[in-house]
Parts: sequence; structure tokens; C-alpha cells
Amino acid sequence: MFRRRSMLSVAAAATVTLALAGCAPTTSASAGGDSQSAGAKGTVTVFISGDTNIQTLWQDALIPAFEKANPGTTVKTTLDLHGEHDAQTLAKLASATKAGDAPGYDLIDSGFIQAAGDSGLLTKVSSTTIPNLASVPSTTVAAGKGYGIPYRASSVLLAYDSTKVSTPPKTLDALLAWIKANPGQFAYNSPSTGGAGGAFVTTVLDRYLSDADRTTLETKYDKSLESKWDRGFTTLAALNSSVYQKGVYPNGNQQVIDLLGSGGISMAPVWSDQVISAQDNGTLPKTIKYTQISDPAFTGSPSYLGIPKTSTHAAIAEKLADYVLSPAGQALIASKIAGYPVVKVDGLKASTVAKFSGADPNNLRPGYYSETASDMSNLWDQKVPGQ
Amino acid sequence: MTALRSGAGARVVARRRVSSESRRRALGLTLALPPVLLLAVFVGIPVVLAIGFSLGHNGGLNSTIADIGTGTHSATSWWGTGQAYVDVFTDPRFLRDLGVTVFVTVVSTLLVIATSLAIALNLRLRGGRLATVFAGLAVVPLFIPVVIASWAILTFYSADGFVRTAFALVGLEGPTWGYTTIAVVIGSVWTSLPFATLMATSGLQSVPDAMIEAAKDAGASTRSIVTRILVPLAGIPLVIATTFTAIGILGQFTVPYFTGPNAPTVLGVDISKYFQAFNRPQESAVMAVVVFALASGIAFVYVRANFRSAKKEGRI
Repeated sequence: MFRRRSMLSVAAAATVTLALAGCAPTTSASAGGDSQSAGAKGTVTVFISGDTNIQTLWQDALIPAFEKANPGTTVKTTLDLHGEHDAQTLAKLASATKAGDAPGYDLIDSGFIQAAGDSGLLTKVSSTTIPNLASVPSTTVAAGKGYGIPYRASSVLLAYDSTKVSTPPKTLDALLAWIKANPGQFAYNSPSTGGAGGAFVTTVLDRYLSDADRTTLETKYDKSLESKWDRGFTTLAALNSSVYQKGVYPNGNQQVIDLLGSGGISMAPVWSDQVISAQDNGTLPKTIKYTQISDPAFTGSPSYLGIPKTSTHAAIAEKLADYVLSPAGQALIASKIAGYPVVKVDGLKASTVAKFSGADPNNLRPGYYSETASDMSNLWDQKVPGQ
Repeated sequence: MTALRSGAGARVVARRRVSSESRRRALGLTLALPPVLLLAVFVGIPVVLAIGFSLGHNGGLNSTIADIGTGTHSATSWWGTGQAYVDVFTDPRFLRDLGVTVFVTVVSTLLVIATSLAIALNLRLRGGRLATVFAGLAVVPLFIPVVIASWAILTFYSADGFVRTAFALVGLEGPTWGYTTIAVVIGSVWTSLPFATLMATSGLQSVPDAMIEAAKDAGASTRSIVTRILVPLAGIPLVIATTFTAIGILGQFTVPYFTGPNAPTVLGVDISKYFQAFNRPQESAVMAVVVFALASGIAFVYVRANFRSAKKEGRI
């Protein structure tokens, strides 16, 4: 009798706790609705899925400038460092949208915009709601399929220490041969912890795929094609004894750049924007140079913003996106993180423009679809390190 | 009349006794309720849910995570399905990492207990300033965050770290332990040493001087004083230190994530990778159940030690 009563009270307490937890988002959503009706003033939250440089871009440059230009508006951020939880975030967004709840953020900066747009989780965008979208090249806008707002571009490049390497490899095959000929001098981060290592893995896997298969893997989730990766994974596993410390794959893009800066390695795949800003800050010596390889090239693409369908502050989110695409916003992207601007910017310094001369944002090789990329990380972890 | 009145009186007394008894019981229940509720809500229910999820019970409170995850199996019989367990146990990656986890746990625990016992014995038998300094230093890691310590250990033993620099100065090639399982063992010992040292020193300090002196008078060597008096009398604190250290190392994440290699790695890191980066929460839950089972095995030793000491002291 006694035991049953205590069980009942436990169950009752659990129910109350859950009910309270369930209430929380509803209350905040309704409060958000009120502030929106007051006009452009209010609070929006930007969801950032990326490395620390993207966090710096929003928190130290874009947001302060936007808040200054729009008094009364507050922009908050939510960060998922390295975008490690992308697959989960997307699934949570899907269940929130299905239930008609606000996801807790109003503008997304992440690699899963394409997938979210395909699943109908985002608000349609056009130059009527975001006027500055009209100045972005139409092919770049079209790749966003009407849901993604292209706002900057970057690509993965091959960085090398020019004091140790005089003629860097020009093709992927030459790079693979160089890695074997120079054991311990190359490193890439594990693909689940950053896009630079992910681009290297993608590029090696793509080396053995037909153009049609590549396009499929880039645009949708097709598990049946994943068995064709086996040759690429065998090639990557064969590199274990030749990479840094006989098979160490650091966690995160930045750790690889640190190794390059300290002289631990002399060649690595890196994000263009990260290597340029590291040199500007002085954390990476000027003797580190970078180049692009071919057959196939490392991946890169415009980055897209998206507005969740159930966002309660869509109007302010559109205004923020419009600001990011304005000449002032684009100049901040170029100067703060050395991101390639997606619109023609006249006010940029000639030296800044020269940095982007080698990279045309319209001519970048895209990476895999987000769910495919998560599977790639899992299979890489299974088939490459320690084999 | 009198009889009736006395009967009524007795009934009143009896009723009053019952009510005071039940009030006492209610008070006891109220006092015990908060911790029981806290454990049930934040530990008990999640554990039951996770075990259910690992067996494919994807309904109810598990429905969201089951929707989000990929490669999830659903229950096929009343008790569930073992398919997720089959998936995990047929993956060579898991068996390899399970082996590494057990290896790191056993080696680190032995090192921690040996080191803390040596520090405590030195303090108990020899004493003096140096012994106090050692015992004090061993507790320092308690005040340094694990993330910071992991980074420090990584850079200290890395290819361009202090150890190799020092070796290079005298013209030798030093070992590179950064990103190896050795670094994980070093880090585990570092983080677990303070608690084990505190337990061992307090356990040994509580042994009365009179016993040691009596043994000395009877001609016992230092060795037999240690093995036959000090260690057995400090047995319970040492068992507690061993079990807590082993359970802590078994489930650790930060040290192996920062200082260890990508492969082989320990299960704590795997659980996080499967749950987050690979979005396979069910397999992650299976691994958590395996770690839970291992930890329960260690906890059994702890409970038995407590039970024995309670019995010896006549509490049970």
C-alpha cells in the first residue's frame, strides 16, 4: 500500500515536470508574437552552425552593425560549434515545424539549408521581401531553390609551407603521391569535426565516382550509392601511415591550421576564409601559401541563410538578411573573415579584392547533401582511422 | 458504566496512538521524498527510457529521438528487439574500442591506487615536510578544470611539446605521446588522483598509532605493518577509492576526446560521436547500456564492501 502510494506520487511529479517543460516554448512564442506586432523592433535569434570564425563574424561584426542601424532591435545567437549536431538540428526543426511550434531561432546559417528547404521547413524568399537579393548573380540565387539566401562563399584550398615545399601538387593524384613521399607532413581533420577535412575526404571519394553519381550525392540522399565509396575509403585508409603521427586526425579545422602554423606539418586542406584571416591576425606566418588542386578540385560553395517556416519574427529576420547582403554587410564579411562576397562590392580595398581573385563564387564544386555527409563521417570513422 | 467508560477511554488512547504513528510516518516520507523524487525524475526514468530505446521501444517519450535518429530499429516482440545490439556487437570498431576502454580503465585505476597508496603510506609512516608536500600536490588537479588540464597534457607531450624539446636539447629523440592511448592514461591518472589520495590518506590516518607501535614492539617489519595492519584496516576507503576511480575512468569523455587518437578511442567518446555527429542515437544507447553494465559490476564490489563493514560493526 505504502509502496504503491509513493510510486503514484513519483509518477505525478514526473507528469507535472513534463507538463511544465511542455509549456515553456509556448509561452515564449506568444510573447514573441506580441513584440512583432510592435513593428520592426524586437528580438531575433540567429542559429549559427560553424567554426569560431563564423561566430565572430555574427557576434562582433554583423550584429553590432545591424543593431546600430536599426535601434530597438536585438539580435541573439545560438551556436553549434563545428556544426557537429547538424543532422539532429535539422530533425528537431522538422519536428517543430510539423507541430507548428517556433524552433527558437529565426535565421539559420548552416550547411543544411538546402536539405531544410527541400523538406519544406523554410520560408520562401525573393527580392520582394529581401530587396538586396536582386544584386546577387542569378545562378547563385537559383541554387538556393527559392529558400536559401546566398550571403558569402568560401572554398577549401590546399595550404602549404613555402619554406619546405617549393612546387605544390596541382592535381589530387599528385597530392596523394606527395603525402606518401613525405610521411608525417600532411594532416586533415576528421570529417565530422569540420568542413576542411570533410572536403578532402569528399574529394578523394569523388575521384572514383562518375559525374552522374556525384551530382546525385550532392543534391539528394541516396544510400544505395554509398557502396561506391569503398575504393575512396581504401585509398584514405592506405594514407594512415603517411599522415601526421602515423594516423592522427585532429578534431576541428582550427587545430589543423595550428599544426601548420607551428611547423608540425607542411601541407593541409584548409578553408580559404580561415587561412586568410589567420594570416591577417598573424597566427599563421606569411610563408604559408595556398592553391587549388584539380581532378577533382576541393569542394566549396556559397553559404546560405534560411528563415524557418514557423519563425515568429520572420519580418526582422528578412531585414537582417537584407542588411547582410547590403554593400556594408558584404564589406564586413570580406574584411572580418575574408569570406568571398556574393555581390559586387565597390567600396572594397584593392588588396582585399586581390585575395579573392583566384576564386569565383559562381564556379565552386559543391559538397555532399547534409544527410549523405553524416553517413560519410560515420563510414570514414569505421573504415579509415586505426585500420 | 465504568467498564463502558474505560472501554471508550482505551479506544480514544488507541486512536491517538495510531494518529501520532501515521503522522510520524508521513513526516518521514516527506523528508525522504525530495531525494527519491530527484533520483527518479533525473536518473531513474531516463535510464529506464534509454534501456527501452536500446531495445527498440520507440513509442511514448522515446518517439522524438526515434524520429530524429537514423538506422533505428523498432520492437518486434513484447520485450523488444536485439537488432541494435547485433548492429553494435558485429561492428569491429565497437569491439576494438570496448577493449581499449577496459584497458585504459584497468591500467589507470591500478596506477592511481598504487600512487595514492604510496603517497598515503609515506605520509603515515615517515611523515615530515616532503610527504606533506606530496600529499598536497596530489590534490592540486582537483582545482584545475579537466578541459584545461587535457590541453596542457596534450601540448606537453605533443610532437613540438616540452618533453621532446627537453630531450632534443641534450641531443636525444623524445617520445611523442600526444594523441595516443598513453596520453589518455596519463590524463586519467591526473584527473582521478586527488580523490583516491584523499580517501587513502584519511583511511590510513584513522588507524591508531597504538596498533602500529604494538606491532613494532612485537618485532613486525615495515612490510608486514603495511600489508597486515594498515591496508586491511583502511580496506573500506581503499575499495571506495578503487571503485569510484574505475567508474569515473570508464565513462570519461573530455580526456580521451582531447588527448587521445581518433581510433581506437574509448566508449565515452564513441557514445557522443554516434549520438551527435553520426545521428545514430539507438546504437549510442546500446553502448551506454554496455558501459552501465560494466559500471554496475564495479559498483557491486563497492556495495559488498559496505555491506560487509556494516555487518562487522553490527549495524545490520
